[in-house]
Amino acid sequence: MNEIIAVAKKEIMDNWRNKWIIATSAIFAILTLVISYFGSMRGVGWQDLEATIVGMINLVTLLIPIIGLMLGYASIVGEKERGSLELLLSYPVKREEILAGKFIGLSAVMALANFVGFGVAGIVIGINVKGVEWGDYFIFILASILLGMVFIAIAMLMSCAFSKRSTAMGGAIFAWFLFEMIWNMVVSGLLIAKYGFEKLMEENFVAPNWYYIASLINPIKAYSALVSLNITPVAEFIGEMPSFVNTPFNLAILLIWMVASLLLANYLFKNKDL
Amino acid sequence: MIEVNNLRKEYDGVVAVDGISFKVEKKEIFALLGPNGAGKTTTIKAILGLINYEGEIKINGMDARKSGKGIKKFIGYLPENVAFYDNLTALQILQFLAELKGVENADLMSLLKEVGLEKDANRKVGEFSKGMIQRLGFAQCLLGEPKLLILDEPTSGLDALGAYEIRKKIKELNEKGVTIFLSSHILSEVQELSDRVAIINRGKIVVLDSVEELSKKLDIQPKLRIEIQHPSSKILGLVKEIKSVKDVKLDGNVLEVTCPPSAKLAIINAVEQAGGKIIDFKTVEPTLEEIFVKVVKEDE
Repeated sequence: MNEIIAVAKKEIMDNWRNKWIIATSAIFAILTLVISYFGSMRGVGWQDLEATIVGMINLVTLLIPIIGLMLGYASIVGEKERGSLELLLSYPVKREEILAGKFIGLSAVMALANFVGFGVAGIVIGINVKGVEWGDYFIFILASILLGMVFIAIAMLMSCAFSKRSTAMGGAIFAWFLFEMIWNMVVSGLLIAKYGFEKLMEENFVAPNWYYIASLINPIKAYSALVSLNITPVAEFIGEMPSFVNTPFNLAILLIWMVASLLLANYLFKNKDL
Repeated sequence: MIEVNNLRKEYDGVVAVDGISFKVEKKEIFALLGPNGAGKTTTIKAILGLINYEGEIKINGMDARKSGKGIKKFIGYLPENVAFYDNLTALQILQFLAELKGVENADLMSLLKEVGLEKDANRKVGEFSKGMIQRLGFAQCLLGEPKLLILDEPTSGLDALGAYEIRKKIKELNEKGVTIFLSSHILSEVQELSDRVAIINRGKIVVLDSVEELSKKLDIQPKLRIEIQHPSSKILGLVKEIKSVKDVKLDGNVLEVTCPPSAKLAIINAVEQAGGKIIDFKTVEPTLEEIFVKVVKEDE
């Protein structure tokens, strides 16, 4: 356990000193404030936090995966290329402990940036707007951290799967495209192929359960659904969803992605020659 | 201390190490020599469990595969191209590595002082020269007072003074009972430091012994270097006539004769008989370089 903590601490220290935490926090804070102040359709001025979250979801689903992938893609292969992994593994530490320590450390970096960035923005908005629902905002931050952790785990999988930093980066970029664009296109395409475009346009058309399941297996969609279901104004806006699309279901999808990616990363790392 | 039995490793069908076996005794300095790509680093990586391999490796009687973590507590390792984290300071790096090794209350400043980096303790390693990184690499491998040091090119990137200090430190540690397993391409360094040498070529150990024994086995003769005041062709001719003399060269005033030690007196007599006046006289023992070149050439 001490070894995991030592590796995690090193990751936090490294990312603190290379200004990752400060830069990411600043990006989160500035974007939240800009969306809150300029993002309203009613004109310029501060919106409350719930309305800000509605405006933020799309941006967060683009930004957090990129940050998670950037944080994690070089975590193993980068150290291997530089030569420091060889030294690290000559110490009394197991490969799974290195992986766990790095994941915890990078997740802490992600969590810190989220809390500081969104927290500072939340306080500024809270000063300017009355009746802020802090609980909703807190759920939004926690869900965003969880999404970030999923993408750190996916990036670490890339880092263990490839033997060069550049190919791991390519894998991370592909993962981003897959979850941001390709996935939705494929699932929607399947729906159109099965029912035809005209039927989909009918007012009383209800998408089958498999469509929801296939969509929500994408961690980005699961995150959107999780935030949407738990934040009052968004939940009112999205309307009816199948009953199984609930908080545990979305949480389970995110956790399965995270754990499965880490387990596969561990399997690949354990069998890797340095 | 280290027991390697039938170690074999293939990379994509290419055999890097081909069933080698050797033992490194406690408290000795054992050197692994070989040309580039001979299998030295692969052997070191296998000992440290950094690669998967066939065969068996025991360290202190324990199977390296099964008890890797326990074994590594008393091993210090300096890789050939040691690298750290550019954003961290030398002190932060040692703190991190000490924590990994479970070393409590380590006096890290004295460790940095030992390698001449005490003034750079709080500088980012990204600003360090190659020599400073190598010194930090040597400092980290001393964390937790290891019983076994595995050093891959320990003086790489160091200037003459730095290399001398590291060699001195290696000798001191060995005198205190630390077993040293080293690989170096600087043959004079290996000759100076090591008790025994294994020469590895194309994945196989070709010879293994002390430098002296290897010279005897390979029949590499010492050389006599005789400085003569007025050298002449007559001297050269007389010395060549001596039966046990293998080779004679005259380079300016210096006569270099390859021969067994028993031929010394006959050579001196021959030089004087031919009218040569001896100014200086010394015996040069066979170098590891000669042994190395002979072994590798014969093997190929």
